Amino acid sequence: MDRRTESAGARLGNAIPRRKWLGSVLIGGTLAALGGAVALLRTAGYDAPPSGATPLQVLSSVQYTVVRAVARRMVAADRAEGVPSPDAVGVAEFVDGYLVAMRPPLRRDVFRLLAYIEQLAPLASGYRQRFTELAPDAQDEVLLALEASRFEQLRAGFQAMKSLVMMGYYRDARTFSILGYGGPFVLDRAGTTP
Amino acid sequence: MIIRGRELTADFEDSADAVVVGTGAGGGMALRELSRAGLKVIALEEGGYHVPTDFTQREEKMIPMLFQDRGARTTADFAIRVLMGRGVGGSTIHNTNLCKRTPGEILDQWARRFAVVGCSERDLAPVFEEVERDLSVSEIPEPQQNANNQVLARGVKALGFRGGPLRHNRVGCRESGFCELGCAYDAKQNVTKVLLPAAMAANEQTVVMSDVRATRIIHRQGAVAGVAGTAMNAAGKPIANITLKAKIVVLAASAVGSAALALASDLPDPYGRLGRGLRLHPGAAVAGFFDQRIDGVYGIPQSYECTELLDFAEQSDRRAWITTAFAHPIGAAASLPGFGAAHMALLRRYAHMAVLTAMVHDETEGHVTLEDGDPKLHYGIGEGDRDQLIGGLRACARILFAAGAREVVLASIPALRLTKPAEVDRITADVVGPHKIPLLSVHPMGTLCLGEDPKTSVVKSTGEHHAIRGLFVLDGSLFPTSIGVPPQISIYAFSRHLAKHAVERARG
Repeated sequence: MDRRTESAGARLGNAIPRRKWLGSVLIGGTLAALGGAVALLRTAGYDAPPSGATPLQVLSSVQYTVVRAVARRMVAADRAEGVPSPDAVGVAEFVDGYLVAMRPPLRRDVFRLLAYIEQLAPLASGYRQRFTELAPDAQDEVLLALEASRFEQLRAGFQAMKSLVMMGYYRDARTFSILGYGGPFVLDRAGTTP
Repeated sequence: MIIRGRELTADFEDSADAVVVGTGAGGGMALRELSRAGLKVIALEEGGYHVPTDFTQREEKMIPMLFQDRGARTTADFAIRVLMGRGVGGSTIHNTNLCKRTPGEILDQWARRFAVVGCSERDLAPVFEEVERDLSVSEIPEPQQNANNQVLARGVKALGFRGGPLRHNRVGCRESGFCELGCAYDAKQNVTKVLLPAAMAANEQTVVMSDVRATRIIHRQGAVAGVAGTAMNAAGKPIANITLKAKIVVLAASAVGSAALALASDLPDPYGRLGRGLRLHPGAAVAGFFDQRIDGVYGIPQSYECTELLDFAEQSDRRAWITTAFAHPIGAAASLPGFGAAHMALLRRYAHMAVLTAMVHDETEGHVTLEDGDPKLHYGIGEGDRDQLIGGLRACARILFAAGAREVVLASIPALRLTKPAEVDRITADVVGPHKIPLLSVHPMGTLCLGEDPKTSVVKSTGEHHAIRGLFVLDGSLFPTSIGVPPQISIYAFSRHLAKHAVERARG
């Protein structure tokens, strides 16, 4: 595995004020533009969005691929039987739909987070490949680093991504048995379960 | 009459005696009181108008429908998730119906520190009695407390802690446990069920406009003149301008929304008080895992409390309130620590889990600003409040063990997993704090505070702005400090108590 002795995040953090670096990740600023430039250079080789499915509403095909890759690790199954895959549940498609009515500044934060996960987070963990090219174990390592990052806003970004993925996955009735959850309890007006 | 702003096809102009901005506990009560007084009232609500059949008990649909920013609102540093209502009825649609009066000690402090007059415990007692009667407030008897609350009661009793049942405003409850996603059975005695019909019955001219975002309070020469707003379609896009002329404007759009509108309206603010004094009641949760099934998701939530660590004396070192905080599946999945296979393995114990929360009666003062027209919440939890949270979470862990939990888990990074009571002291500042553990607020208050001194307050003790005649604040923005208890019934009561001044002003 190709690793760097000094993380990209640490070097960037030393080069400019920390707040500005953090701001660049989720709020905007100089490095957001740099991140965008990196993204322009590294957008080849992504899967096409699923054919025949509902067209993506706000996510680009690159962003869609990143969400799908993150979801596959975040809800990786603890056992083989009875656990639908996040692809089968349509987590990335759900996230795309969920973001439609989100206020533009919040949506922009999510897009920047996805760009960070794909392009910079692997470098910060010592990998040259982008997130979607990494092996599952390496992807877990990158996500663990994000979850426990010393930068507060990256930890918050991880939590936001986790919330979106969990909503996209555990909304599906096929996952209820994992939790031993009986599902919604809506009664009709006569008091019986429809 | 309900007008759905999303269905407007042209700009809308009208005149009224009063415009109420916001339709939660404060706005709903103001609407009823002003309508009862024979005034023509128009209420504006940013969110939609929903009926019980809309409440499907599905988190992925209800959270974006009923909460600001689709449930994603946070403090500016992303450290605290802030859940706030959006829609006709505001937070009364999705709260758990808790009704605890403003403590007398708090009201005494307001009189002493902020020169608030006419709002003592004695002044408010008959108001609370009336409001509680109107909303059918009653104690949840033990048999109706769900299994998660029975865990709390059992642990509290085993430890000899102070605790007891809570009072709710619910009638005809089916004990489904889905209160926080809107009541499909219309059992909540809330704004949409009780106050809106009363307002409409009292005055046929009463109008509620949903899907309208108030953008500016119109005022001239020290007097309010109306409200400007924008109607939005289902996707949140502006579709029509709204202009309402009025002698009275009541701000009741929450401690965040009211402050944001005040800031957007160039109100006189010589002492820089607009948006200041934000309190959040920040809290965090602790999960306990039991041998037996708990099924905490079902039954009446938050029906028992522990007040062992709570008193309301000024600068008290006991400022943590403990109750239950069971989450529906998506909320639980997002809150439990970690991800991947280990996370899923933990979720398999969901039915055997009980969850408690410690909420801090906070001294930290935050503030609200505007950025590109949207509110931004600035709040950095102080060390004193963090220590209160640590003490509260330790008590939660002790209670869970005393009730029989085999394991207690904190969603810190990395997760803290405890297997015996002696380990609760591992809950320290190293694992509790912003960005170390998920923090949640459901009780924003303050920001347009009450008091007779304009140097420390925005509105007088009557609720009227110090400098703008006819502009009233009648929601949780009024509170000069944290109140240390869920604010729903206090907001109803303060709005009921102060609305008479708005009526008097409207009558000239």
